[in-house]
Amino acid sequence: MAECIVITSGKGGVGKTTTSANLATGLALSGKKVVAIDADIGLRNLDVILGLENRIVYDLVQVIEGECRLKQALIRDKRVEGLSLLPAAQTRDKSSVRPEDMKKLVNDLKELGTDYIIIDCPAGIEQGFKNSIAGADRAIIVTTPEVSAIRDADRIIGLVEAHELPEPKLILNRYRPGLVARGDMMNREDILEILAIPLMGIIPDHEEIVISANRGSPVVFDELSVVGAAYRRIVRRVLGEEVEIPSFDVQDDGVWASFKRWMGLTAAREVV
Amino acid sequence: MMTSLISRIQSVLGEPRRGSSKDEAKQRLKLLLIHDQVDLSPAQLQAMKAELLDVIARYVEIDREAMEIRLSKEGGQVALVSTMPVRRVTSRAAAAAS
Ligand SMILES: Nc1ncnc2c1ncn2[C@@H]1O[C@H](COP(=O)(O)OP(=O)(O)OP(=O)(O)O)[C@@H](O)[C@H]1O
Ligand SMILES: [Mg+2]
Repeated sequence: MAECIVITSGKGGVGKTTTSANLATGLALSGKKVVAIDADIGLRNLDVILGLENRIVYDLVQVIEGECRLKQALIRDKRVEGLSLLPAAQTRDKSSVRPEDMKKLVNDLKELGTDYIIIDCPAGIEQGFKNSIAGADRAIIVTTPEVSAIRDADRIIGLVEAHELPEPKLILNRYRPGLVARGDMMNREDILEILAIPLMGIIPDHEEIVISANRGSPVVFDELSVVGAAYRRIVRRVLGEEVEIPSFDVQDDGVWASFKRWMGLTAAREVV
Repeated sequence: MMTSLISRIQSVLGEPRRGSSKDEAKQRLKLLLIHDQVDLSPAQLQAMKAELLDVIARYVEIDREAMEIRLSKEGGQVALVSTMPVRRVTSRAAAAAS
């Protein structure tokens, strides 16, 4: 059964595009047929995070306006079987797409035999957001452990529910165990108490995200990465598996633990 | 897969890294910005190259493999730069000229 998942947040810059890229790639690595849609018209970025920017010929607006066929606009990722990107238009604005267009697009993709459609939603609650949720079957809300991001997430949860999407799920991104341990960052319980929606996963704040963005290669490809592992757990949860969500703890400061951290083998010790 | 680990080991061994990720970022970005400015993707440029070759081949025989076309930026001006090594003028073009 095909499913369309929108990745949204309200506040900008909290990790929607990074999450979309890794979730889409991870699902494809699990053998699913996936299309990632960049719905950020005018400010496309998912192509760059996926490292597919040089292969764009057509975009989403051209598909909607009938300038090309849907299949022509899909860019197949050569690193993983089953993953394609539908890029956003770079020189158009959000008003060139209407919610009905997105609904049709998503239905057409489902008819092509896609298992998962992942929509990278733009920041904000206007046109781009409305377009992004129009064709979605469920929503994943990304937030960071900050007051402003959580406030916006709360607003978005209300809007998503008003659109009759089933209960949205939460991804807590840029989590810093050191700050949490010191009592200077809200922990998972604090945030869930406020937002009261199920948690899909926690992604630590980590330099590997910067490096993978530089290279255009999602971190979920890296089998040794803790961040990659965190995304792989989210992928399994999306697929319906029950997977424990470990906390990240930095208390372990032994020589071996610091060495492993320095080698990039762990971001921080995971504690279940 | 093991890129982060390997690059870390290499940096310990004092070995020059297989291109640092920041250099890769800078190179990708430069290309991206030029293409953004003219709203023509590298893939579209390749499509244009194929069409150009077809037109030009009607007049001169050129080395298809050696033909190069790219966008370049000099002093704020984006230019389409192309080199097409000519083998010889085709007979049809010669006939038209005579
Ligand atoms: N877990 C993380 N660790 C470190 N850096 C991160 C992490 N997640 C995201 N970032 C960085 O935060 C920045 C914003 O991420 P991203 O582009 O995914 O956010 P976004 O929500 O899509 O932004 P926008 O609202 O502008 O579309 C990027 O520079 C990214 O590298
Ligand atoms: Mg984004």
